[in-house]
Amino acid sequence: MTEVGLVFFPAFDWAISPDHPERQERLLYTRDQIQEEGLFDHPAIREYRPRLASDEEILRTHVVLPSLETVTESHRIAAGGTIAAADLVLDGLAKRSFALLRPPGHHANRFVHGSRGFCTLNNEAIMVDHLRSRLGPDVKIAIVDTDAHHGDGTQDIFYNDPGVLHISLHQDGRTLYPGTGFITERGGPGAYGQTVNIPLPPGTGDEGMLLAMERVVLPILRDWQPDWIINAAGQDNHFSDPITNMGFSAQGYARLTEMLRPDIVVLEGGYSIESALPYINVGLLLALAGLDYSKVQEPHGRREPQPRAITDQVARICGEVAELWERRSEEDLGKVFGEAEFFERRRQIYYDTDNIYESQQEYIRLCRACPGWRAVYTQSTRVRQVAAAVLLPWKPCPSCRQEAEGQYRQLAAEGRFQQVVWQDPARGRESLKE
Amino acid sequence: MAGIDVGGTNTDAVLLRGAEVEALVKVPTDPKDLLGSTALALEKVLEHYKEDQPLKLHLSTTLSTNLIVEGRGAPTQVVAVPGPGVNLKSLNFSFPIIELDGYIDHRGREAAPLNLDQVRGLKQVLGGTEGEALAIVGKFSQRNPGHEQRLRDEISQWYNGIITLGHRLSGRANFPRRIVTAYLNSRIARHQLDFLRVWREVQGSAVGEILILKADGGTMTLDACAERPIESILSGPAASIMGVKALTQCTEANYLIVDIGGTTTDLAAVVGGEVLFERDGATISGYRTLVPAILARSFGLGGDSRIRYEKSSGVIIGPERAGTPVCLGGEHLTPTDAAAALGLAQVGSAEAARQGWQAWGESLGIDGDALAKEVFQAFLRQLREAVEAFYAELENMPLYTIREVLDPPDLRPRAVVGLGAPAPVFVPALAESMNLSWEVVPYWAGANAIGAAAARATAGITLQADTQLGKVTVPEMGWRGEIQRPLFFDLGKARELAEEKTREHAGSLGYDASGEVYIVEEESFQMVRGFRTVGQTHLVRTQLRPEVFKVRGEAK
Repeated sequence: MTEVGLVFFPAFDWAISPDHPERQERLLYTRDQIQEEGLFDHPAIREYRPRLASDEEILRTHVVLPSLETVTESHRIAAGGTIAAADLVLDGLAKRSFALLRPPGHHANRFVHGSRGFCTLNNEAIMVDHLRSRLGPDVKIAIVDTDAHHGDGTQDIFYNDPGVLHISLHQDGRTLYPGTGFITERGGPGAYGQTVNIPLPPGTGDEGMLLAMERVVLPILRDWQPDWIINAAGQDNHFSDPITNMGFSAQGYARLTEMLRPDIVVLEGGYSIESALPYINVGLLLALAGLDYSKVQEPHGRREPQPRAITDQVARICGEVAELWERRSEEDLGKVFGEAEFFERRRQIYYDTDNIYESQQEYIRLCRACPGWRAVYTQSTRVRQVAAAVLLPWKPCPSCRQEAEGQYRQLAAEGRFQQVVWQDPARGRESLKE
Repeated sequence: MAGIDVGGTNTDAVLLRGAEVEALVKVPTDPKDLLGSTALALEKVLEHYKEDQPLKLHLSTTLSTNLIVEGRGAPTQVVAVPGPGVNLKSLNFSFPIIELDGYIDHRGREAAPLNLDQVRGLKQVLGGTEGEALAIVGKFSQRNPGHEQRLRDEISQWYNGIITLGHRLSGRANFPRRIVTAYLNSRIARHQLDFLRVWREVQGSAVGEILILKADGGTMTLDACAERPIESILSGPAASIMGVKALTQCTEANYLIVDIGGTTTDLAAVVGGEVLFERDGATISGYRTLVPAILARSFGLGGDSRIRYEKSSGVIIGPERAGTPVCLGGEHLTPTDAAAALGLAQVGSAEAARQGWQAWGESLGIDGDALAKEVFQAFLRQLREAVEAFYAELENMPLYTIREVLDPPDLRPRAVVGLGAPAPVFVPALAESMNLSWEVVPYWAGANAIGAAAARATAGITLQADTQLGKVTVPEMGWRGEIQRPLFFDLGKARELAEEKTREHAGSLGYDASGEVYIVEEESFQMVRGFRTVGQTHLVRTQLRPEVFKVRGEAK
């Protein structure tokens, strides 16, 4: 068994548009550096091919509107490549794996009307649901998102899912896209407290990131005891990144990887394609394989040491997050979500990449026995007629399953909606026909 | 025109007159006296040579391979400019490396200069007598050989041993492999040079031009071999494959080459009419190098392999060699004996083989004939498994574009072409079990020598252009120049320049540069900074494709 299975897919023939940060060139210098360092060739690292994700695998996680035809092959390969990386570990071919591929996915919500934050399909969410389809719904999976942007899509997909713990460390949403990820976002009624946000002030460097790891992320993981740890490894918190304001370095990244010891790493953002990505990825690969990364360093530019005021601010945020985690089981959910049959949530979602507005209404059945079934109504400037969806959790209680089925049949019979979607991750899309 | 292939067991030699085989000889190789074995084979060939002008000779020798495998050669030191990145000490090289300051980045820009005080200090650390050797290797020196060249200029002022510069050996990216390749090249250079010089003198006037066979199936001059002796490693498998190219009638674009020898079987794949090459370079004796080489996989299954019989799993053949087959007077039964006893091949005494199987069969409680048949089937099964594993390995090569993932390159063979003494027995049955057509090439037992004779000079280069920096580099030539009109230097221009440079390179090596230059690999990217295109980067890898020299003969 090799130490690290690497699914490297730079999509050298695909771009969102010619000048877009998500373009052919993005992983070119990373390829050059890994090749020159001899890491594709290292006995501890073995390279594998990606594959296409199937309709089944995508629709277990997403509701794609108006249809899957809007999803390009590049997205299917990025999602399928991430699944392939997970299977390497699951099948015992590698101890850990790294899906070093593009396009990224962590801004893609459960409902997909188009592309937001350069993401259409949520690669790691699709992979997490694939893991559960193979291992059963009881497996506990923690996702630690270290991209500089809040992992809002992944948070959205799992926010009411007790099988997943989602921790996101990111530049404070008041200063950066997508403008969310505050400590008050803590998850839905079925998984309250399992959405953990650690917003970091602009200028946070290695000291702050590693402090947050030490003070909050690792203790929470020790407490929750996941079976799998996934790292959504965005690399845009680097000091040279053109679209963020953080101060992380390749050394810091390698150290973080060593501390976290993730089973599967998935590349997310990172657009300092020459000055950061080649060195971060070399450091990350070495750390993941348990090799010496002490000499990895950016040859151009130096990061500024993190100012004291920022360190203090990070320490304060960590304290607040830790306290929320400790208190999470004492919270009165009735106060947070109400005492009615359903918890209702209305949202407006902007898709910056495709310039689409979505409005969404969601009803979660408040159930003591399971996370509850959900009904969601959505429309957008692209999909103008309202679509409805009935969603089951991975482990619905019999009464929720029955109610959800009834709701689906009723919605389908009414004929009010252009589309009525049934999502049953544990049994599949066809479960109603049985 | 003569070809000699010095193998581990036998030395094969051929005399060609035009496309006709005049003589084909085989003598045993004396590993302790390669010079003698080669001379003897040549002597036998010369008996048939009646022309006046000196004989042209292509030589495939195991000399460099043996030097490396046996750990011999000159005392060699390595000076490296690694810059930041993987800690060289963690890679556990089997030789010490002196690390210097300085760094060239992935674009070939100098990110940190050499430290000249450090360079001057090398005088105290390095030897420098004529018998010693040195390799100078920098990270990304294939993108900018400046540091390596500067170091050579400084060091060669007082260093008298052989010096190898990493960038001259390959344009491929892989710093650890570049270190290993340059190190081995320096280590074996003097011995190789001495051998060839002595050998040249011994032959006197009967032999004219001598060319040396390379791992990529091409030839090189003695001068080129003196600079890059490392390229002559593993020329044996290359000779066999060139023999197939010279002799085969197969017109399929994709076919499998199976070379069944006494001890081992080698597999190689032809795809789209071209033999597949190693992605990075040859691996020899655990050393991963950047030496351009035909991709061949060898495994311990051959006519003289040892046979074991286990109650649970039945017959198991190889991987070690049993020795001479019983039918030829040996002591242990081998797959060759199975072929002889079953009447599949006329080798030695079929009767002796049959008696051998009978005797072993009795001790196992099996009919002798049935046991021989089982051995034959086991040989086929193991061969078939190796072929499957070989193609599985090829098909796991990474793909980096959507186009390739949606439509992966078709590598699967449509035919099997065999050579080696046992090939007529096993290749037809192998091909039939795979539902493929087959051919055993003419002169199947000596096709390697024919391949050596039929091989032609090859030369390839890597051209890397960066129009934002206005620089273009061809590491194999140690050349880095300015792009005159970067705005107009597109991929087409890069291809034109690559072809021109390939011919120039081949010419400077003393080769006929008139053949076709083809593109092995190319890449082209727009470089965008801040939503604006600032330049392009092109990579063009070319190879001079000599015409395949066809040799006549009856196929089986």
